[in-house]
Amino acid sequence: MTYYELWQACREELLAAAWSTLQLALGALAIGLAVGLLVALLRMSRARHVRRLATAYVELFRGTPALVQLFILYFGLTAVGIEFSSFQAAMIGLGLNASAYLSEVYRAGIEAVPKGQYEAAQTIGMTRFKTMRWVVLPQAIRVVLAPIGNVAISLLKDTSVASLIATPDLMLRAQDLSSVYFMPLETYLIVGAMYFVLCFPLSLAVRMLERKTSR
Amino acid sequence: MVVISELEHAAQLFPYFLKVLGLGALSTVGLTVASFAVALLLGFVLALMRLSRRVWLRSLASLYLELFRNVPILTQLFILYFGLTHLGLTLPATVAAIIGFGLNGAAILCEVFRSAINNVDRGQAEAASAIGMTRRMALRIIVLPQAIKVALPGMANFAISLLKDTSLASAAAVPELAFKARMLVSETYQTNLIYLMVAVIYLILSLVLARMGHRAESRLRGGH
Repeated sequence: MTYYELWQACREELLAAAWSTLQLALGALAIGLAVGLLVALLRMSRARHVRRLATAYVELFRGTPALVQLFILYFGLTAVGIEFSSFQAAMIGLGLNASAYLSEVYRAGIEAVPKGQYEAAQTIGMTRFKTMRWVVLPQAIRVVLAPIGNVAISLLKDTSVASLIATPDLMLRAQDLSSVYFMPLETYLIVGAMYFVLCFPLSLAVRMLERKTSR
Repeated sequence: MVVISELEHAAQLFPYFLKVLGLGALSTVGLTVASFAVALLLGFVLALMRLSRRVWLRSLASLYLELFRNVPILTQLFILYFGLTHLGLTLPATVAAIIGFGLNGAAILCEVFRSAINNVDRGQAEAASAIGMTRRMALRIIVLPQAIKVALPGMANFAISLLKDTSLASAAAVPELAFKARMLVSETYQTNLIYLMVAVIYLILSLVLARMGHRAESRLRGGH
């Protein structure tokens, strides 16, 4: 069986799996973007224990492997009677994991906005919330776009980890197919190429953005 | 009553878990150190290739980077593992994992090194060549000692993500921390206790790595 024949035989299944990989990545990114913003704002709260709690959250998620986080979320919570599908567990787990990294990205972006902007907004009588919403965040977005792109790329690659809790993604399908056709090397090379096709355009886009913002 | 006896059972097993997971943590550290060494060496070579004046060397290095950075590490590990078997090389899973993490890490460290070298003021290299140093001498004596300071935070970050990534080797039955944990879970069904212990161990290891990075940074800065 040649590579082409293998691709012909597996195409439908692999493309469907690539679609679930994409869905998983997009869902996790949405969770990560929302929770990450919340965590970033909490880290800048005026209450010290809120700041500490948010910092602990970030350290916890960045200091442990995504794999272990998925194990706890999927097997651990199932053991105490909370049921998730592996797809849901993976989306939530990878999303929370990404939120820790994204909160740092947001924070750097917000800190890049000059202090005078806050002061000016306060002077014209804006509340803290309004200052954030109308003055700081719109300016911060330009700075954070490329780093968010980088997190999105690692997230897309990290979805492969979800196959280890049996989420039906590209990697899990590769595992199944290599035990059907007994061509593991060829199957994983094809799947590797598929991931490359998904990630490489994103990488190029991020690099273009980086060049634009650094200028 | 049932809850109490379950807790007692877990408490009895705790020392056993600690022993097994401790051994797993040791091999995780070993795997991380060995992969870091491979990545360091190869990453440095790649960085030099990317800074080379020869176009084909530069393109070769870029191709390497794109291939390794745009494919998940788990996929790379499987390709390497089955690729080596295909070539008739049956290496122990641990060795294959070290090679895999090393090859992947080289792509990351290469960029860290390259941006650090580019960060050193151009005038330094020009001054070195003005006093008659060759390109190689200038790089070794003038540029690299300054670049290492800039590269340290990136290297520390890479070390931490490498430490966490080694957990993926459990999929290839490398007997490191995550693998030991999975074995213990299927042996005793103490899912939450075991995975929480594993999370704490990884957290401690990454905090230690972060600390080592900071210390190395302040030492280098102090020595200047």
